[in-house]
Amino acid sequence: MTGRVIVITSGKGGVGKTTTNANIGTALAKSGKKVVMIDTDLGLRNLDLLLGLENRIVYTIVDVVEERCKLKQALVKDKKNPHLCLLAAAQTRDKSAVTEEQLKDICEQLQKDFDYVLVDCPAGIEQGFQNAVAGASEAIVVTTPEMSAVRDADRIIGLLEAKEDMKSYKLLINRVRPSLVKSNDMMSVDDVVEILSSELVGIIPEDTGIITSTNKGEPIVNDEKSPAGKAYQNVARRIMGEDVPFMDLEEDTGVVAKVKKFFSGLVGKEK
Amino acid sequence: MRDNNFFADVYNKVIGFFRQAEQESHTKDVARNRLRVVLMQDRTNINPALLERMRKDLVKLLTKYLEMDNEALELNLEEDDGQMALMLSIPVIRAKDEDEIEEESCHCEEGTDEAIQENSDEEIDEREEELEEESEEQCLCSELECVCGDEEADQLKLTEEKEEKIKSNKKTG
Repeated sequence: MTGRVIVITSGKGGVGKTTTNANIGTALAKSGKKVVMIDTDLGLRNLDLLLGLENRIVYTIVDVVEERCKLKQALVKDKKNPHLCLLAAAQTRDKSAVTEEQLKDICEQLQKDFDYVLVDCPAGIEQGFQNAVAGASEAIVVTTPEMSAVRDADRIIGLLEAKEDMKSYKLLINRVRPSLVKSNDMMSVDDVVEILSSELVGIIPEDTGIITSTNKGEPIVNDEKSPAGKAYQNVARRIMGEDVPFMDLEEDTGVVAKVKKFFSGLVGKEK
Repeated sequence: MRDNNFFADVYNKVIGFFRQAEQESHTKDVARNRLRVVLMQDRTNINPALLERMRKDLVKLLTKYLEMDNEALELNLEEDDGQMALMLSIPVIRAKDEDEIEEESCHCEEGTDEAIQENSDEEIDEREEELEEESEEQCLCSELECVCGDEEADQLKLTEEKEEKIKSNKKTG
């Protein structure tokens, strides 16, 4: 079997690359796929925290490259899902500890045993980025509807287009705030898609649940009621080739609408 | 009096309401438009300074053939159907006649050699491109002196030239 290698990148930091990685990975594994996530952010690793695996890491990607352990030994299994594995980044080394060739080689090996290899890319466009994209043939570009994030995403898209082995890239728009979009104080999903003229793979609404789920070390897709969790679930289904319609974020979420919904719910129950 | 105040109040409130609405609806559009412009610059590597340099050179080139409003000549980077384009708007007054054009072009040829010599003495460190530009500028200045003899225009040109020199000095320095 040959799995798909997908890099999750953004250019700008803090837009939700690692959160996206943890959630898409978890969602794919929940659907029965074999998934491995590689954290390539050497020196600033965080994917282990989001998955709640920080205490289980024995070996890192640098140990694999420097042959202190076998690749399989370095893979950490998820607590809940045995289909989900993590190859952690080294916290004490810098980006030069692993080369493009080495990462490419690791991706090729993992492709044989897993359906999906998700590569978590560091922020920036320097060597760390070049390393992360080296082994990937698909990319998810994470951005938010803010000017600086969109500008950086445009830069990243330019770099991805210049890369021969990159078959396709898709856009994931994170932290959308429907009320601000409605009051014309935030660019809409359509605006961002038009400006970047790219294909969309997901729209994630701003959700305070992300903070609590990070606190617990449990990706928000495990909470099926949360808006962001649902949205990430949809992204995973789209990656697997399903045709899932995009969430309507324009839906009225004001107080009046909630009251209406509550009463219509009551009336419904009485019947 | 009372009525007057009442109407003034209502008027102000109505105007205030619309102004507020106008401002509120704009921040997203402001962001989108600023982003469009900055992305065009990023993608093409054409920045405002380069546009201004090209604009000045175009003015110089076109004044050989045209009489026009130099300050109103606009050169803008725009996007049309995903294709970047430089849009040039030339406010023409009239075309110069053959004699005028002829006169300017021969003056120009004479001027160039002198100008290059002067320049190479003064600024050896300048790159070749910049030297050429500089020489063209000087040549145009001399033309303007001869052709129109208009003091104001000369001063304008000279200050522009100074600016350019300061800019290029900054670059080399």
